[in-house]
Formats: sequence, structure tokens, C-alpha cells
Amino acid sequence: MIQLLANWILSFDMLSGMGASVAWGLSLFIVAALIFVFVAVNAIVLVYIERKVSAFMQVRLGPMRVGKYGTLQTVADALKLLQKEDIIPKMADKVLFVVGPWVILVASVVTFAAIPFSDTLLAANMNIGLFYVVSISSIVVLGIVMAGWASNNKWSLYGAMRSAAQIISYEIPVGITLIAVVAVVGSLNLQTIIEAQGGTGNLFHWIPIPLPNWFIFHSPFLFMAAFVYLIGATAEINRVPFDIPESESELVAGFMTEFSGLRWALFFLSEYANATLVAFLVSIVFLGGWQSPFSSYQGTQIGFSIITIFALFWTIFVQGKTKRLSVYPLGLSLVITIAAWLFPGFAIWMASPGIFWMLMKVAGIIFLLMWFRWTFPRLRVDQLMYLSWKVILPLSLINLMGVAIWMWLTGEIQF
Amino acid sequence: MGRLHAEEMILNMGPQHPSTHGVLRLKLRTDGEIVSHIEPVIGYLHRSFEKHAENLEYQMVTPFTGRCDYLAAMGSEHGYAMAVEKMLGIELPERVEYLRVIFAELQRIASHLVAVGTFGLDVGAITPFIYCFRERELILDLFEMASGARLLYNYIWIGGLAHDVPPGFVEKTYEFLDAFEKRVAEYNQILTGNKIFIERAADIGVMTPEVAINYGVTGPSLRASGVNIDIRRTEPYSIYDRFDFDVPLGQGAMGTVGDSWDRYYMRVLEMSESAKIVRQALDQLPVEGDVQAAIPRRIRPPQGEIYFRSENPRGELGYYIVSDGKNVPLRLKMRSPAFSNLSVINEIGQGWMISDVIAILGSLDIVLGEIDR
Repeated sequence: MIQLLANWILSFDMLSGMGASVAWGLSLFIVAALIFVFVAVNAIVLVYIERKVSAFMQVRLGPMRVGKYGTLQTVADALKLLQKEDIIPKMADKVLFVVGPWVILVASVVTFAAIPFSDTLLAANMNIGLFYVVSISSIVVLGIVMAGWASNNKWSLYGAMRSAAQIISYEIPVGITLIAVVAVVGSLNLQTIIEAQGGTGNLFHWIPIPLPNWFIFHSPFLFMAAFVYLIGATAEINRVPFDIPESESELVAGFMTEFSGLRWALFFLSEYANATLVAFLVSIVFLGGWQSPFSSYQGTQIGFSIITIFALFWTIFVQGKTKRLSVYPLGLSLVITIAAWLFPGFAIWMASPGIFWMLMKVAGIIFLLMWFRWTFPRLRVDQLMYLSWKVILPLSLINLMGVAIWMWLTGEIQF
Repeated sequence: MGRLHAEEMILNMGPQHPSTHGVLRLKLRTDGEIVSHIEPVIGYLHRSFEKHAENLEYQMVTPFTGRCDYLAAMGSEHGYAMAVEKMLGIELPERVEYLRVIFAELQRIASHLVAVGTFGLDVGAITPFIYCFRERELILDLFEMASGARLLYNYIWIGGLAHDVPPGFVEKTYEFLDAFEKRVAEYNQILTGNKIFIERAADIGVMTPEVAINYGVTGPSLRASGVNIDIRRTEPYSIYDRFDFDVPLGQGAMGTVGDSWDRYYMRVLEMSESAKIVRQALDQLPVEGDVQAAIPRRIRPPQGEIYFRSENPRGELGYYIVSDGKNVPLRLKMRSPAFSNLSVINEIGQGWMISDVIAILGSLDIVLGEIDR
């Protein structure tokens, strides 16, 4: 994308004199700025959505006053945070205190360089993309330990130590789970991984249910791996039920206790950037990234018809029993189905790969993470470690072996 | 199992901390995450209730009692009114007794809703807390209807009630009960049966019956240990002998008898029992009747002393009143249940992790206003 942008800049007569390397450097900056803007805007939007989602789950309205339906609430909050006094505790280690939040932010923003948004839209098409994302995102723990230690506060220290133990423990099963997918594709390039998931095939190779060729439907092992990864990744980004480093009711705010104003906002920003990153990785690695779930426009029509029938049954038999009948899922799927049958152009667009599908999948995963957050209690430190080392890690190893055996059985690889 | 011992660290939990249920300070001696000793430091909310009472006429003490246990003000007022009435030896109209039981039991539901919700909050579940407060609001609406206040009512007076309930109160209470009885299932669905919640609460902070009795623990926390003592049943005061209700006891359904999960679940069960009592009281409530017994303007109980105890949502609430025949009490001592319940924290909380200490503290359901008085 950087090269494309540089070529585009040079294509203007006025700018063509600047030279190829200058143009390349300029486009590098533009792309970096775009990524940062994406992360910042994304955080503001996600905070709003999270507050609304939690409010609807808790029979509340959520923010309603600033802007229509409270849409400007998070913007106002961000402005407030920018204005706040910058406090560095007297006994804090000043250098680490200042650097810590930036380390976390940089580590979580830089990972987006390798994330493909669509088949063309990505900053750097690296052949080690997956490795890059996983390794860079684990720098976050360094920043957390720095912030927790520098605060010179016992609660912060507890938070930092818990976080270090937690993130390092979960790195291992998460990495091994991803290796299972790499074993199938034979490449670490994220674009190659997505391209390998195009088209339609049978569920688990033999069961004759036509489903997209996504890796979650590749084999029972990768199906399991998707959930193992989601659990491990939730723990890695410190979200509920694994929010032990912050655990509000225990450690006040964990490693963030002493931070305020802009520095605290940086933690918040990186928290949502990390959640988005995990959602991106799940959809890239297991849900086919920017691939459409439908292989042709007939597929779109039939697929949405089936979804509508499911929604109808759900509305009648599940929703019908409750007092408040929600018809939005049925109505939405009905509208899309009718549109897909009436306008073939719309159906063709739905069947073609693109950024729309990527963002839809990411939004779905993020909603899932929010759903976790507002329903589950928190695990204890030792229970978390038990889950990591005695449940998730063996499962991920079984997945890895299982995938290898599966590939041999289905004849995808020969020895 | 031998454990590696490092240097111990003193950790001050509170007085400002999200999970100490008020301004309580716990001095924790910690070895890493393991807590080896807990010392509760109290008194941050001390308001000289007992000294105030020695300088106020008997009627004037009533609003102060509500401020002690601010989550169960009706219960505190009820206990105090009954203690003074027993000293005076006055008979109350039937309607007063029924209304008082209705208010006391509604207050028990409201208080247990806070206990259940905040316990969920202590182990990290936020949504159940809001669900519990949704129902508590309905109860507070009923209280507001009757007394005009939502937290501190000054409604149960010596010799009766401040004034009668407004028209429509009985119907609204029935409506609330119909809605509430179904919603208890919701709490069980979202919290009680949750696997993570059970992992966090079951087998944690086990309180044996011996420990509970030795420390003077009362109320749901005592009954969770399997000791069948409920003053409403063992020593029925007011008109509690007329109602049919069960006293739930800890069964150890998810772990050991007397663990945090049992203490939590006792409160869920007691809410349903209280709803049963309210329904019966509403059915039997006399339609006509005065809500004030004939008492003198200035109360001068005969010389002597009295200890009167009643079952508050947190346990045994006792009033020890010494009278020298004047219109102010010579001495008023309040035996607050949460004070005794908190004293057991070191015994049952030792050796657990910091997260568990918070769960144990939450399961004891303390109110600092009542501990510090």
C-alpha cells in the first residue's frame, strides 16, 4: 500500500520532482498516521458502543445527553481527559512512569501495520505477518510492568506482577494454536492465510453441509482451536473474565491506579486497540478475513433465506416465550433477503470479498468480547494459571497434533 | 505442602477501596498473593450514636437508629420501637403489627438484594448488581409511598407508625411481589449457577458452626454454617408466630457447609421466604384500624433495663436500654450484627488469596454505619 501511495503521489506532475525515496517516505508517514487515526477513532467508537451494549444488557439507557443518543459522549470524555492535570506521584520513578504508557500504546498500534483490511488495503504485506503481530503485541506486558513498578504503589505492583504472569502464560497456548493454522496453510503471511480460505466446501471435509472454506470449518481440531484461541486471547488482552491485572473490585485499578489524564487515556486507547487486534486475528485466521461467506450471488440469496428461516423460528420459539418480543433480527434478515432476491447486483456485491466482510466479522467478535465482559465474574489468579497450563495448553497441543493427523487423513498432505 | 516464604508485606486495604463496603480498613499481612493475617480497623464512620441517645428523648432516638444500618433502616427502627414498647408495656393495634412486619420484610428483601448484588460485584460480575438494584428501586418506591423517604424513613415510631399507608399501597405491594418472585430465578441464572462464580465462592472462607458461634456471628452468615437460629422462629417477636415460612440452612450444595457460596445463597433463599411472609401479612392485614397506640407525649419508662433482640437482615440486632425513669435513656447500647460478623474475618480469611478475602468480606455483608455507630 505504501508503494501504491508513493506511485500515486509521483503520478501528479506537480509532485513528480520530489524523487522516489522522498515520496516513499512521505507515504510511509501518511500510512502510519492513518493507522493511528484508525486506532484512536476506533477506541472512541468502541467505548461508546461498549457503554451502550452494557446499558442494554443491564436494563439501562447508557449515555443519552451529549449529542443525539449520547453519540458525542466519548468525544467529550476524551476532551476532558486531555485537559486534566498531569500528575506524576512524588515517589514514582519518573522516567518509567512517563515511558510505560507509550510503550503499551506503540506496541498495540504498530501491530496494525501487518493487518489486512481487504485484499489490497494493508500497510505492509509481510511474509512473516502472523509472527510479527504475535511478537510485537507481547511487548505490551513490558509497558505494563514498567507502569506498575514505576507507580511505587503496592496495588499497581500487584497488578503488574499478575499481568506479567498472565500474559506470558497465555502467550504459549495462543502461539501454539496459531501454529496449527500455519501448519495447514504453510505460510505466515496473513494475506496467504486469508486467500487459502476462499470458496465453499464441506463441513469438516466430509460432512455434506456446504459452508465457506474458513478454517473454523476445516476440521474439528481447528474448530476447537478457534475457541481455544479466543479464550487465550481474551486473557492476553486482560479482558473479563480474565481482567485480573485491573480487577477493579480487588486492586482498585491495578497497574493504572496512579495514572490520570492523558496517560490514562493512552492505556484506554491501547486496551481497545488490543481488543480490536484480537478480533482481527480471529477473523483473519479462523473466519476467512475479507472473504465473503457466500461464493456466488445464488449463494447469497439461498444463504440469507436460510438465515431468515432461522430468525423466524428463533423469534417464534425463543423470543415468543418472553414478554418483550424483539423482531429486529427477523426484520433485518428479511429485508436483506428480499433485497438479495430483487437486486442481483446487491447479491453479487454481498458475495464478493471486501473490507465490509472483514469489519463485520471484527464487529461480531468485539461484541462477543463485550458480552463476556458484562456477564461473567472474574477468575482468581491461581484458577487463571490452572486454566492456562493445565487446560488450554494441553488442548492447543492436541489441536496441533490433531490437525496434522487430519491433514494426512484427508489427503491434503502426503508423506 | 511446603511453600516458599518470602518477606511479608503489609497491605492497607482501605479506607478508600472499592470493595470494603464503606470506609473499612483492612490491614493485610501478605506473602505474595496469600494473606496471612487480617486486621480490621474500624471507626471511620463513628457518629456517637449511643452518646447521642443518652441526651435525646426516646422518640428522638428513632431517626438515629435508621442511620446506623442505612441499608435496613426499617429493621433498626422496628427493633428500637419494640424495645421501648416492651419497657412501657403497651399493646399495639393489629394493623400496626402487620404493617410493621410488611415493612421489615420488604426491607429484608431490599437489604439482601444489595448484599447479593455487591457480592457479585466483589467477584467481578457487574450486571447482577444492576439487576438487583432494579428490584430494590421498586421496594424503595413502596417505602417512598408510605413514608416519603427512600433510605432513612423515620416511619416506625414508638407506639405505632408515623402515619397510615396511602391508598393503593397494598395493591402496589402485591404487584411488586408478583414481579419479584419470578425475578429471583434471573439472579440464579446469571450468578448463582455460573461456573466461574461457583469456583470463586464455593469452598472459600469456610466457617464451621463452632467458629460462627464462638465469634457471635448471627443472621444468614450463621445459618449458612448450618446453625438453625432465626429469632423470628426461635423467639418470635411481634406477630411472626402467625406466618408460615422456612428458615433456609446452609447445605454445602456447591462445596462445604458454611462457605462463601452458602452465605450468598442463604440470602437468595431468604428473599423468597420474606416475599412469602409479606404476601401472608398482606392477606391478613386488617382493613380498618388505628396506626398509633395511645401513648403519652413524653415517654418515661419505669426504672429498669431491657435487652430486646430482633432479626435484622444482617443478624441479631439487640437494644440494651437502661432507664432511670426520666424521659431520656440513661444508657442505650446497640448490639449490631455486622460488628460481630466482621470480627470473624481473620479466622476464616487467613491463608486465602487477596481476591478471596474480598469475596469472604462480601459474603459477610457488612454495613459500616452499623459497625462504627
